[in-house]
Amino acid sequence: MVDQTKSRIIEKNRLTELLDKLAQDYHLIAPVRDNNVSFRRVESGSEVTLDYINTVLSPKNAFFPQTETLFRFSRDDSRGFRTEPGAEADREQVIFGIRPCDARSLRLMDMVFNGQYKDSYYLDRREKTTLIGLACFDPAETCFCPTFGIDPASGEDVDILLSDIGDRYLVEASTEKGAALLDRFAEFFAELRGDEEQLREARKAGLAGMKKLDVSAIADKMAPLYEGDYWDSIGMKCLGCGICTYLCPTCHCFDIADVSLDEGGERFRCWDSCMFPEFTLMASGENPRPNRKARVQQRFFHKFKYFHDRNGELACVGCGRCLRYCPVNIDITQIIEDVTSGKAGNE
Amino acid sequence: MSENIYLPRMATIQSMRPETIDVTTFRVTIDGSDGTGKFEYKSGQFAEVSVLGVGEAPISITSSPTRPEAIEFSIRRVGELTNALHELEPLDKIGIRGPFGNFFPLEEMEGQNLLIIGGGIGLAPLRSVILNVFDNRAKYGKIDIIYGARSPQDLVFTSEYKEWQAVDNTRLHLTVDRGDEEWKGNVGLVPTFLREINPSPENTISITCGPPIMIKFVIEALNELGFSSEHIITTLERRMKCGVGKCGRCNIGSKYVCLDGPVFTLKQLEEMPSD
Amino acid sequence: MKATSEEVQTSVKKLFEDGSIGHFIGYETGSDSLHVTPCFLKSGQAASRLVWNPLCANNLSKYLLDFKNVEGKVGIMVKGCDSRSVVELLKENQIDRDKVFIVGVPCSGIVDREKLLEVLGISPGEVVAVEDDGDAFLVTIKGGTQRVDKEKVLRGECLVCKYPTPLVYDVLLGEAVSSLPWVGDDYSLIKEQEALSSEEKALHWNREFSQCIRCYACRNICPVCTCTECIFDKKAPRWISKANDVSENLVYHLVRAFHVAGRCIDCGECERACPMNIPLRSLNKKVEKDLLELFDYTAGIDVEQQPPLTTYQLGDLDEFL
Repeated sequence: MVDQTKSRIIEKNRLTELLDKLAQDYHLIAPVRDNNVSFRRVESGSEVTLDYINTVLSPKNAFFPQTETLFRFSRDDSRGFRTEPGAEADREQVIFGIRPCDARSLRLMDMVFNGQYKDSYYLDRREKTTLIGLACFDPAETCFCPTFGIDPASGEDVDILLSDIGDRYLVEASTEKGAALLDRFAEFFAELRGDEEQLREARKAGLAGMKKLDVSAIADKMAPLYEGDYWDSIGMKCLGCGICTYLCPTCHCFDIADVSLDEGGERFRCWDSCMFPEFTLMASGENPRPNRKARVQQRFFHKFKYFHDRNGELACVGCGRCLRYCPVNIDITQIIEDVTSGKAGNE
Repeated sequence: MSENIYLPRMATIQSMRPETIDVTTFRVTIDGSDGTGKFEYKSGQFAEVSVLGVGEAPISITSSPTRPEAIEFSIRRVGELTNALHELEPLDKIGIRGPFGNFFPLEEMEGQNLLIIGGGIGLAPLRSVILNVFDNRAKYGKIDIIYGARSPQDLVFTSEYKEWQAVDNTRLHLTVDRGDEEWKGNVGLVPTFLREINPSPENTISITCGPPIMIKFVIEALNELGFSSEHIITTLERRMKCGVGKCGRCNIGSKYVCLDGPVFTLKQLEEMPSD
Repeated sequence: MKATSEEVQTSVKKLFEDGSIGHFIGYETGSDSLHVTPCFLKSGQAASRLVWNPLCANNLSKYLLDFKNVEGKVGIMVKGCDSRSVVELLKENQIDRDKVFIVGVPCSGIVDREKLLEVLGISPGEVVAVEDDGDAFLVTIKGGTQRVDKEKVLRGECLVCKYPTPLVYDVLLGEAVSSLPWVGDDYSLIKEQEALSSEEKALHWNREFSQCIRCYACRNICPVCTCTECIFDKKAPRWISKANDVSENLVYHLVRAFHVAGRCIDCGECERACPMNIPLRSLNKKVEKDLLELFDYTAGIDVEQQPPLTTYQLGDLDEFL
């Protein structure tokens, strides 16, 4: 139900203007069409495209950049170094147009970057970010987010949800942060006209028939597949590239390395992938995951068992990027079906 | 911004003691405002050691928390970072993060006999236990240390053996894979030597560290000798980067070696996938 | 006549039965009717999974490297372009001709999925099948069949393909295709870029490479990227930083382009694999054109012909010295 008190509308022709304003007051990150549609920092509303199902890269870059300075160092007068932390998190940022699946992925990422040791870089950005989501009514054929209990038309994991209902967007704040932003830019929003709920329900028709797999017992069903040859053919097919992990909104692995300049340098982290052989290669030359099969297995076990064992959730939001962009068409939904149906153990 | 878990504390190398041709023991103090920064750790834990500009690697702590004057790391030259460390000199600065990981259950081991089995540089984390129990000698029963290396030149901490042997109710059994003219001790692989020594599993906890292949056969021998899998403790090595369970590379099944390890009982290992 | 999936199935089954092969690498239907996926067979029983249609884009020849140490021969399905990378692999002794059984299929062009969906204005779920029909594709859509001109929806490399029929094979299924009617100027793709100044070129490629995420899909899928340890993976010395930075990305792509110079056969796999849509073919095409003009050399034609950049002769051009 539309909550009358917290909901507004915005006319479609006022959106660019709102985005212009947001870009002035915040770091605005929104979908931009270049060679593909991806989230980028924008300076004005006209750069933003809303004609996309989902972006190629998930917005994880805005919290966990592909490359990020952890700290800088410089030689001091004695034989030592002075260190200074990397850039403080940027000022307050707004992510505009995040899809409900990607918004859910942040909840999973939080589990990694929070905990006993707190990753201040990620958590700081998270705290300083307002998420403006865009409800999905025309999912791609590769989408399967309902599998993980995600409602593509819901604002559960965002601060504000926009739903395209024809000539206007229904705008719903679901957090204090969201409500505050609506207040601040109140001039752009109008009162509901009354037919919004009905219009939204009509648009939801596009969601009927979305793929929804039963993953309730998948973690238990993965366990016996550790041994056995189910992963042989998938490992054989896999190219060992980083597309699936880099595009995945829940993959969080990284490497840490130094750059050395004349009198100092910096330590940075950058995305890394369990698909790469060097990911686990030790200085001694030993590699506990020596082949593509072992690495493919790690990826799916991490998603559907290990992450679940540690955090009680599955590390997938059904965005379908890994399937859509895999050059050899490795199909995560097929793997889920094989595992949950028991077919995987009987090959 | 809250504390930066990736920022190392600066530390000073106080001395570098060559152990073998490619192993050096670095004695290090943490730089604090008063020059004696605190670094509280337990035997079995590791630290992320940095040479700024080169990188960082997980290194097990080889000193004992019972001797808080300095922290020691015995490091073999194997990769980029350890090579860079060996190029440093006393009074040079390094970075330290940690301590990380779990530790040997020394309190649970009180009242028990200890069987400590090491191979090569694997004696480094075990030395932390050895010195620790020596400093609390009354709390433990008989101590047997079985240690082997490829050759007499590859044995580490040789300058301390006399001291160790002089400790009450303690025996040090040395072996090498290949002897030389001067070597008078045992020649043979550690697992074989262990079988010959034939220690009793009764009231005894065994802890072992060394090359993976040695650990594998030592565990086999300990099983034969009647040690239960709860009483066989080992430490594991994996490629690690962050040390704090985020970077995602050191897992064995659902366990992160950096957070949940590196110390595991054989019973725990048996419940983990075999990679 | 064009080979059909049934012909491929029958033929592969027979090869297993008469002991000609112990393994087979082909295509099977993928996640939907617009995708195929590589298929690995160990016996003829599952040969009915194999398909051959205008969606079979993948160049499977790189997988031959994974079969170097298996018993018996490995069979593989190759199109014209794929056969040229097999020639390159043979040239470099990466594979043993006696251990490979090549099932050649003449190819009249592969569909570019994105172009097809755009031309038809439909979503992928609506497509039931795509068939070859001379200078057009017959696309079966829920509720009917549409004929789409090939020129509008072909993959870029197919628009300039001069070798539709495999150059090396043990058996050829279907009739050889000598030339494709739409193939014209090979290098129109790079004409515009060649006219740019150095500064403009730098600007162009910096913009493109700033989008690279260094997933290494272009390298990993490339049939002539065969190094067991790539210099970009080497830890000591590290040739490029793992930091994603346009200058590092540029070094990666330029070194790769030079490394496949004279070996790239324009199968287009790098560009197809790139999730960021970086137009990698135009980089390789330029190098290809230079090699043709300087050395009259085309890669992947003849096993005996050595690549000009890895051989040395006294009469070689040396203007740069």
